Amino acid sequence: MLTPQHNYANLSSAVGLGLIGFNEEDIVLDYGCMFFDSFVYASRLCKKIVGIIPSSGRYNTLQKRLVEEGVKNYEFVNTNYKERHSGEKVDCVIINCFLEQLLTEIKHDKSVFFGNKTRPKKNDNSPEKISIGFLKTVFNVLRPGGTLYLSYANKLRISILFQLSMLEIMSFFFSYNLRKGMGFVSFVKKICLLFYYLLSQKGLEKLLKANGFVDIEKYAVFPDHKYPLKIIPFSKLDECSYEPVPDTSREGSLRRISAGVKRRVDRIIFNKLKLFGLSRSFIITARKAS
Amino acid sequence: MVSLARLLLQPEKPHDITIMLCELITNNTHNNNIALYKCYNANNVFYRKAAFSNWGNKIIENEKKGYEWFYNDSETLIETRLKKRYFYELVIPQFKGRKFSSDSIISGNEETIEMIIDYYKDRWSTKDVFAIHGDLALCNFVIDDKNIKLVDWEHFHYSDKEYFGYDIINMLFILIYHESKRTFSLNKRNRDFLRKCYIQLIEGVVDSNKILEKPFQNAKNYLLKFKDRFLINTNIYDKFVLSGSPPSVLEYFDSIVTK
Repeated sequence: MLTPQHNYANLSSAVGLGLIGFNEEDIVLDYGCMFFDSFVYASRLCKKIVGIIPSSGRYNTLQKRLVEEGVKNYEFVNTNYKERHSGEKVDCVIINCFLEQLLTEIKHDKSVFFGNKTRPKKNDNSPEKISIGFLKTVFNVLRPGGTLYLSYANKLRISILFQLSMLEIMSFFFSYNLRKGMGFVSFVKKICLLFYYLLSQKGLEKLLKANGFVDIEKYAVFPDHKYPLKIIPFSKLDECSYEPVPDTSREGSLRRISAGVKRRVDRIIFNKLKLFGLSRSFIITARKAS
Repeated sequence: MVSLARLLLQPEKPHDITIMLCELITNNTHNNNIALYKCYNANNVFYRKAAFSNWGNKIIENEKKGYEWFYNDSETLIETRLKKRYFYELVIPQFKGRKFSSDSIISGNEETIEMIIDYYKDRWSTKDVFAIHGDLALCNFVIDDKNIKLVDWEHFHYSDKEYFGYDIINMLFILIYHESKRTFSLNKRNRDFLRKCYIQLIEGVVDSNKILEKPFQNAKNYLLKFKDRFLINTNIYDKFVLSGSPPSVLEYFDSIVTK
């Protein structure tokens, strides 16, 4: 949006969105509105941004920020997006803290944002078909060729895996009957798939592919996805060099020493061994197949 | 270069979101509100500097001016492209050649440093309007057999010709800083080399020059007096080592080079 600028707010924490070349005619959907800077940044570069915002607390704070910054090209949806906007397609979907949001969904066992249950559908357990409800919703909302942007913290993968597995186990045992018993193999298969999708290096990418996305690119993010200072694409690891990001927040000699040790360990892990799967955060970009 | 130019000049499709395969190199360094990306496409590698605030826009616009000032009469074609949307972006081609790390030292780089001083004298003295790069350091040069390229013009500003030499003195001080591991203690070889550089720099310089009589002290004075021209969005002492160096250290190095 080419409008006069009156503020000096620094939106550098939205640097991950710089990977996406927004156009002025784009309509963007921000699921969860987890990072306000990202929301404002996208609003500046697009025609309209729609925020699906679940909590009234976050809604009020973001609303206040948008008024302060003079952002006008936005809309909030706090009910089911599909009901409000049936048929409207967007050019880009942003899901910051993807796994955190997934976790919220699992905890409530209902869709706060997405209108579908997050649990894998029954009888939908083949590697190609397994789906998480809201990825399907995202797919339906995007126009063909539209872009999906996900950011998430690595450490949450295990807790998500645990919670999804628990749901599966509970669902299996509570509804136990003879017929179900015969489906034990499929139950084990599901658990294995969850392990695969959430823990393996390629898992989430496969999950996106299974949900109709293509051109998937994964990035290692340092120090984290909330304020990236270094983003490295997995497909260019050989051409990129990693230099540990200095942690300026640390004061005191003990903390400085621990930061020094951490830097050295990081150099070994990422520079020498190239184990970027151990990065603290990731970004994934993908495109809806045309 | 031609294919890059063609690529950059291609009109964008009105409704085509592009996911650029990019590496984020730096973000908000010294609170400059700018991100530097290295971008890859099928045929080329190029750099993108993107602003994330109005301040960042100002820096990017300034950097573009710096490139234009420096390369407009150059035999080397440097095509940078400024995209002015709400947040500005500057697209810079990748330069091939030898690159230097930000903590480069004097030892082992003597030949290059002398070459840079020659280059500075040649390029800066032929310009109609004098200007300061503002952050001249070895890491901002890309050198190949035929050309010397200079990048990172964020702190570019026009100035009086009497301040000729500021950039080189700033570069030498950064090299001293890293060579001495921040102790400012140099061996005789390095001290002799510094003096050699100084003699090379002052040769032919007019008497009215306001830097070279006491080069390090005067360079610091320039930096502090005209700090607004450098477009710094942080404490100047965090950005430029020269600005925070004790007067005694600067006097010492002045005495070494001017003795």
